[in-house]
Amino acid sequence: MEEYPEEFRSPPVRLVALVGCPEQHGLISTHFLSQQPPINTLALPHFSKLSLLLHRSSKSSSSSSAAGILKRDWLVKHRTKIPAVVGALFLWDHVSGDPAQWVQVCSDLDELKAAIRPRNIKLLLLVVVGQSDEISEDRLLALRKRAEVDSKYLLLFNPDPSQLNNSLQRLGASFAELATTFYRDEGRRIKAPIEKKNLSSLDLQVRYCFKVAVYAEFRRDWVEALRFYEDAYHALREMVATSTRLPPIQRLLEIRTVAEHLHFKISTLLLHGGKLIEAVTWFRQHIVSYKNLVGPPKVIFLHWEWLSRQFLVFAELLDSSSATLQSVSSLPLGTVEQPLTEWEFHPAYYYQSAAQHLEEKRSSLELAVSISEAFNDNDDGSAESVVQSIYIGQFARLLEQGDDLAMQFLTDDEYTLYAIAEGKRFQDSFEIIALLKKSHEMYTNLKVQRMGSLCAFQIGREYFSLGDFGNAKQLFDGVANLYRQEGWVTLLWEVLGYLRECSRKQGAVKEFVEFSLEMAALPISTIGSIQTSKCGPGGPASLEQRDMIHTEIFALVSGEARPISLDGTDDLKDNTLHLEIDLVSPLRSVLLASVAFHEQIIKSGVSSLITLSLLAQLPLSIEIDQLEVQFNQFECNFIIMNAKKCPLEAVPSEQHDHRVESAPSLALVPNKWLRLTYDIKSEQSGKLECLSVIAKMGPHFTICCRAESPASMDDLPLWKFEDRVETFPTKDPALSFSGQKATQVEEPDPQVDVTLGASGPALVGERFLVPVTIASRDHTIYAGEMKINLVDVRGGGLFSPRESEPFSMDSHHVELLGIVGPEGEDESQRGPDKIKKIQQSFGLVSVPFLNIGESWSCKLEIMWHRPKPVMLFVSLGYSPNSNELNAQKVNVHKTLRIEGKNAVLISQHFMLPFRRDSLLLSRIKPVSDSSKFVSLPLHETTVLVVSAKNCSEVTLQLLSMAIEVDDDGIEKSWSIQHGGEDLGTAVLVPGEEFKKVFTVIPQVDSSKLRLGMVHLKWKRHCGIEDRSGLTVTDAHVLTKHELPDVHVELSPIVVSLDCPPYAILGDPFVFCVKIRNQKELLQEVKFSLADSQSFVLTGSHSDTVFVLPKSEHVLYYKVVPLASGLQQLPRISLTSVRYSARFQPSSAASTVFIFPSKPHCKMAGITDQGLESIIAD
Amino acid sequence: MIVCVAVVGHQNNPLYIQSFTDADDALKLHHIVHCSLDVVDERVNNPKKSGPPLNETFLGLLYPTENYKVYGYLTNTKVKFILVTTNLDVRDADVRNFFRRFHAAYVDAVSNPFHVPGKKITSRTFAERVSTIVKSFGLSSAG
Repeated sequence: MEEYPEEFRSPPVRLVALVGCPEQHGLISTHFLSQQPPINTLALPHFSKLSLLLHRSSKSSSSSSAAGILKRDWLVKHRTKIPAVVGALFLWDHVSGDPAQWVQVCSDLDELKAAIRPRNIKLLLLVVVGQSDEISEDRLLALRKRAEVDSKYLLLFNPDPSQLNNSLQRLGASFAELATTFYRDEGRRIKAPIEKKNLSSLDLQVRYCFKVAVYAEFRRDWVEALRFYEDAYHALREMVATSTRLPPIQRLLEIRTVAEHLHFKISTLLLHGGKLIEAVTWFRQHIVSYKNLVGPPKVIFLHWEWLSRQFLVFAELLDSSSATLQSVSSLPLGTVEQPLTEWEFHPAYYYQSAAQHLEEKRSSLELAVSISEAFNDNDDGSAESVVQSIYIGQFARLLEQGDDLAMQFLTDDEYTLYAIAEGKRFQDSFEIIALLKKSHEMYTNLKVQRMGSLCAFQIGREYFSLGDFGNAKQLFDGVANLYRQEGWVTLLWEVLGYLRECSRKQGAVKEFVEFSLEMAALPISTIGSIQTSKCGPGGPASLEQRDMIHTEIFALVSGEARPISLDGTDDLKDNTLHLEIDLVSPLRSVLLASVAFHEQIIKSGVSSLITLSLLAQLPLSIEIDQLEVQFNQFECNFIIMNAKKCPLEAVPSEQHDHRVESAPSLALVPNKWLRLTYDIKSEQSGKLECLSVIAKMGPHFTICCRAESPASMDDLPLWKFEDRVETFPTKDPALSFSGQKATQVEEPDPQVDVTLGASGPALVGERFLVPVTIASRDHTIYAGEMKINLVDVRGGGLFSPRESEPFSMDSHHVELLGIVGPEGEDESQRGPDKIKKIQQSFGLVSVPFLNIGESWSCKLEIMWHRPKPVMLFVSLGYSPNSNELNAQKVNVHKTLRIEGKNAVLISQHFMLPFRRDSLLLSRIKPVSDSSKFVSLPLHETTVLVVSAKNCSEVTLQLLSMAIEVDDDGIEKSWSIQHGGEDLGTAVLVPGEEFKKVFTVIPQVDSSKLRLGMVHLKWKRHCGIEDRSGLTVTDAHVLTKHELPDVHVELSPIVVSLDCPPYAILGDPFVFCVKIRNQKELLQEVKFSLADSQSFVLTGSHSDTVFVLPKSEHVLYYKVVPLASGLQQLPRISLTSVRYSARFQPSSAASTVFIFPSKPHCKMAGITDQGLESIIAD
Repeated sequence: MIVCVAVVGHQNNPLYIQSFTDADDALKLHHIVHCSLDVVDERVNNPKKSGPPLNETFLGLLYPTENYKVYGYLTNTKVKFILVTTNLDVRDADVRNFFRRFHAAYVDAVSNPFHVPGKKITSRTFAERVSTIVKSFGLSSAG
């Protein structure tokens, strides 16, 4: 845009002039400039200056038949020299002064009028008045008449600060109005011939239209300006075929230059008016109309330069106006006939096009230069004095004729020479790079990566041609990445060709080899190859070229040949060249190493198979001299030698620390896997992973290839799109899908037996012994360590949540109490290094050194507090063969499930004495609180039967049973009588029940009385034959059972039946019922007796008796048995009226045995002892 | 005249690209086709509110260059077709018609059981059919 003169680039500003009174000019012109729109001011101190300024040269005024289209200085003349309005300033003193002053004013006025009249410049009179001046209308009128101006164009100007603002405002308005009038009149004057269409030539029409547009611009009438610029542009386009004024080359040049200026104006107006779409459409038409006007071949470069400039200028215009244009997507896209695309709204596109045209220009200029040099060897200097002529787009020779300068027209040949000479002076490459960089930056900001890449590629190409390989390489690298990623092989080939040449020029051997190998391994087939001469330095993308590059590189790396002009390669002979290929490297298609273990898990020390597969996509076969396979376990590394090239015997001795294998051939055929299978053995357990495969080719060249698992191997990035036969890396297809480059090495099998010899369930409360035997079969045991764990079968800990307080004895239902070593081993004999650590559910014990065949045993003591099953885990860790600290540990695990069971179940029940019943009120009217307790009568004897049932599966021996009172501090509230504790050898087989009878006499009336605990001592009953398999300690076990609380109350009435234990048939006996009143009140008791068939009786059948307090009433009946055997006595039923309680003795209590005759044997009297010990079934 | 047609896959990789010029600008055409993918991305990712809704496969004019016009087409399987023509006043209807026939040819080519989806199209029949379609481009409307 800078190539246009300033007057074209900015919109024109109205121009006025001030004459006379120079001291006021500063004030006024400052005010005019600050007006909206501004007005430029020409300040002339004297009236004579104006006529000099407006002096019209006689030559130019007579040019009706123009020698050109637009004069170069016309616009600047109107912007800086010819005012629209002249403001003549007079002092009031001069106007109203003496006649001499008046005459001077009149003559000044006349001179002024003469100067401005030919140009129709408007006149404005300004009379500068002071504050105290008396204004006389007559003088003003005279002045106005003299100046021939309208009354409103005579203004009084008062520079006094109080009046100044007002005066300036009025001044500004009048000047603006007059200026507008001037520009409109001028416009109309010029427009008239256009409208009448009586212009003699198109030249004039263009010029007139241009002038009208400029005047409209002065008036800020953008619409009219645009219309006339467009008219001018169209008229100009018509001139292309018709004008004959100039020789053809210069004619075209002039038209193009004028068109460019007009177009610039139009675009500026459109863009400033916000008409983006119109501007873009207009630009497109502009390019289309002039695109084919290339001109003669000699000067075709001028055409390209011009086109490039069009794009550049439009890009700059768009760039400066597109501050608000952020997103492409928000734009509407043209019309259906003229669809516009996204990029046409972006300066980046125009910058890029400008650069492309500039490239065209450069190449055609080079051609033109070479032609001109071939034909015109002697440069006669005719291009020297050529300058731009007074018309836009014309050039002329400046001739000095004495003092005068004259313009002489040029011939086309002269002009061509001049243009070529001018063109040679410029370096286009930098311009191209600058344009492309701008475009690249914009595309990058818009995240338009492919366009951006194309720009970057073009920049790189420019740098390359300039010899700046560093910059070029950097750009090409970025571009190559995109093409690699998207698989554009032909484009990638071209970029790589440049990169290869860059590194060749820079002497970077490694990169040169890398790029060359990548090119050689590109999937370019004959089908898609491009046979073109316009290709980069990499040559055409074809199979032959790949072959060539391949051959060249392998000749280089093998040291056989030197590539042409590769600088700095002398050190290749001394230094090795090492390439790394990782999983994302583009060189993966050069060499791909896939490694698969045949087994996912291998035993340590056992050999397994590993398959190594190599694939190369190079166009020709390559021969590998040596392959080194590296693992994470260093000892497993091995080397494969090519038997053809290097026999096994010739292996250098320093490599013998690794295993060396030999393969008959290590030739890699294109697109065919080379599969090698070898044994592998690891001594160390853990992960064994193949890391890399290093291929050595020639004396100095190695490629380190990261190993890949066939199961998770990615396709080759570019080859995956190719339609080719895909083969598996291994022979076994299953291995190709599942094979891994890593395997797990297991630890060796343990050769030690661990036996847990526990029998039967454990019983709650006893110290249960689990014998553990460690017997070595084939391993000696060093640093053995045995861990013991007790785990709840249902998971979780060995304690219930509510009892989770730590370190409480009861928190563990099952507890590991200790570990008893083998017989004869004393605790004190253990060394300090022997570990023994026991917690409630965990134990750790060290195992002494054991030789092969030896064994060691110990016993685990476990106690159950609750019946529950438990898993016992025992794991033995030892090192089998040496006492190195870091040696491999071997582990043996054993588990055993042990049930814990209750040994005995203790229960109890209370009974009242035979044929004696107490009336207990709580039984009649159960109170909710006491109902759950057993009620016992106070001071009466109650029988308590405690029974212990063996619910285990082993025979138990009971040692003693007793009731212990735990709170002996309290006053004895009841008395218990029982016999000796020792039970002797009471043996209880499974399921058998043992009963013991106690009598209880409560002595305190209590609603809740604690009776105490039953203590049962027992142990497993071991026969003599059982002694060997002892699993339990011999100690007795104490099982406790809490007796339930009882309710004690005084019974108001006690009824007892009294009759002999037996009777004899026909022998009468007395049967009495004793009713004892224990209360202080009289008791009324009703009774009735039911007859029995077996007896005859005397006594009352039914009656009501009153029993006195604390006394006893006895009902006597005399009965005679009539039948023998067990007979039911007549049943009596009693009813206590006070308590509404009915009582009837149980049928068992009222039964008596009748002998048929008196028995002869002496009857053992039933002793009235309170204690009986019976072992019942 | 059509100078280049291309089929572009899901990863923006060329599946088939064929230029029909004797001149040495095949590489340039490859660049043009590649760059036009930017526009396809733009159109597919940011469909315009005011523009035609993107429920049709024809993407319209993609890319203005001095001498070429580039048109795009997106199949229902998101495979892109690109057409580069030197004919500067092409009618949309012709281009649509071309793409329709081209699409049919493509579908036939990839329906070949021996064709692996996502790989380059190497079928000779397809190439012949494409060149027939290319040759007949614009003739029906002109005639």
